Amino acid sequence: MKRIRISRCGSQLLAQPAPRRPLCPYAAGLQRNITPHSQRIQSRLQSTTATSDEFELEEGEQAQAGRSRRSRLETKHTPLEALPSPHPSAAERSSKLAALRSRLSLPQRFPLQTLARTLVHPSADPNPAFNNASLSALGSNLLGYYTTEHLLCNYPRLPMSVVFAAEYAYIGPKALATIASEWGIEAVAEPGGEVDPGLLQFKRLRPGDDVPAALRRQAPWKWNVTTTHKILTSDEFGTPTPFGSASLPKNEPVPLEDSAQSFVRALIGSLHLHLGRPLVKRFFRDHFLSRHLDLSTLFDFRTPTRDLSRLCAREGFEAPVARLISETGRLSRHPVFIVGVYSGKDKLGEGAGSSLDEARVRAAAAALKGWYLYKPVEVTVPSSTEGELDSSKWRPNMVDCGEVIV
Amino acid sequence: MASKRPLRALISTATCPLRPAQRPQPSLVRTSACAFSTTTPSRSPEYESEASERPRWQQTPARMVAPFRTRPLPKGPVFRVNEDPRRLDDAYIRMLGPGGDKVLSDEVKWLAVTHKSFDHGRRGFNDRLAFLGRRIVSLQTSHALLNSPQVEAWPKDDAGRPLPDEFGRRPFLHAALGGLPGLTQEAEDRVLDKSRLAPIAERYGLDKVTRWKPKQADNLLGSGLEAVSSTSLYAIIGAVALERGGEVANKITQDKILAPLGFTFPE
Repeated sequence: MKRIRISRCGSQLLAQPAPRRPLCPYAAGLQRNITPHSQRIQSRLQSTTATSDEFELEEGEQAQAGRSRRSRLETKHTPLEALPSPHPSAAERSSKLAALRSRLSLPQRFPLQTLARTLVHPSADPNPAFNNASLSALGSNLLGYYTTEHLLCNYPRLPMSVVFAAEYAYIGPKALATIASEWGIEAVAEPGGEVDPGLLQFKRLRPGDDVPAALRRQAPWKWNVTTTHKILTSDEFGTPTPFGSASLPKNEPVPLEDSAQSFVRALIGSLHLHLGRPLVKRFFRDHFLSRHLDLSTLFDFRTPTRDLSRLCAREGFEAPVARLISETGRLSRHPVFIVGVYSGKDKLGEGAGSSLDEARVRAAAAALKGWYLYKPVEVTVPSSTEGELDSSKWRPNMVDCGEVIV
Repeated sequence: MASKRPLRALISTATCPLRPAQRPQPSLVRTSACAFSTTTPSRSPEYESEASERPRWQQTPARMVAPFRTRPLPKGPVFRVNEDPRRLDDAYIRMLGPGGDKVLSDEVKWLAVTHKSFDHGRRGFNDRLAFLGRRIVSLQTSHALLNSPQVEAWPKDDAGRPLPDEFGRRPFLHAALGGLPGLTQEAEDRVLDKSRLAPIAERYGLDKVTRWKPKQADNLLGSGLEAVSSTSLYAIIGAVALERGGEVANKITQDKILAPLGFTFPE
């Protein structure tokens, strides 16, 4: 092994790092937070009593512009680490934000400062002018409206509990958190002014801590939490909101899912304010409606035979009769029975099962799904008429009377 | 045959014959809604054609009604619901203005004011309509809060620049974001509280034409009149949105619900 002379090592580390090529004038700002390795060594080798002024003078030129901007941002009394969230002017220099804007195909006129604001949860920064609470309120109303009209116009007979479940699947907290991670949103370890504005800022729960009481699912405080009551009082998913209070106390830590949900809603709200309604509808269609949801898996019948019988009575069909269509292996270990439910001569539904009862129940469930999942061929949603001068394309939607009540 | 009745059109053509007064229909909710008869409903052609002519809102489906009542009648006074189409039309005209009774089709007009408690949900109910209506009203309330005059706007200095906060940073202000201080979830919930919506529904007479079944006929408030009236109000908005489009529904929300709550809208 070749022995290296100590003096050469020392001088290399102490010397000014010579720039190898002309530097991009904008790179100074981008690399503001990254001090080169040689400078960190340099600062360690300085005397510990060196003042900040001396440190500034002895730095390399490439960091000087960034450092002065940083000290300007710091103002007279607060260092960046003391800020609850990044400074609004840091948004212009964040590559993450610019990349996010182009990844979502948003036009250049959408300000990066607003995009940075949508990433700040109120738990990180309680000041409403710097966090995404108001934007999130607007965005959740927009998402709820567009999703509801899509579901109710395309599936007019859907039962209310399935509507709740479908809304949760499209725009619920888990769905929005998934969408945020698909968009490449990463979260900070701890919010502050020194982190990149393109990261999701929120106060994290410590591992092992409970979810705050306001977010936990609570036992109903009233006895009559019926579906109709939920429509009036709870949110668009049917989750009962706590009595009296709608928001968390300030600075309470939240799970990642809640902050991601708040970000996606705030993004929709900010798009609506800056870019207008048509773009928001296209964005919603591209990012939310393009996700496939199989509604037939959201049903959970308890007594489908009874429901079907009441439905036929209500609609004036002949009473449903279950008939065995075919069977095999009746005396074996795995019989298969195929049963059809008939109203007069029309078969409403068919089911296969390993017992006669199971097959009959499956057939009734299939018949009910056939009724509830009716989908008109062409549908015009209510929001398509907003701002439209030409109303000739409007087709009134089917209004169904409601699911069968047993 | 699955159904001898003609296929229901997407909008029911509103040619339902108004039954003249000589056929008495007892409108007590607790007994069967059809005229009392000792004969069991038969499948004879005359009966079928009669039943098929009557619209859904007017009668309970024949096969869902027991031939006689087995449970004892509950104590307390009888609660009568409105069965008169003219009174319903009056309420719609009061709410939606002249021609308000023609905005919705006949079945949907009745469906929008029918609560699930009425007739055990056998004649349909306004759950879905109220769900959509509430989403529309919430969104319009957000817009109204955004456009309302801002009391808590960020203070500015003489040059028009925003003043710095306690950390010394100035917020990013933009014309599009000017209304955000007024919009919070709490403000929205307070505006759309059912205790504020119920008087508006009462003003239009919706609490008298809503078809529901109170727990106690002599204590309507305690039985939830406010909730039922608010639900009807939302349901009418939802019905208008589905039948006439979002533009009309938004306009009605602004003029008939939010304006009485104190919001002003520029023409």
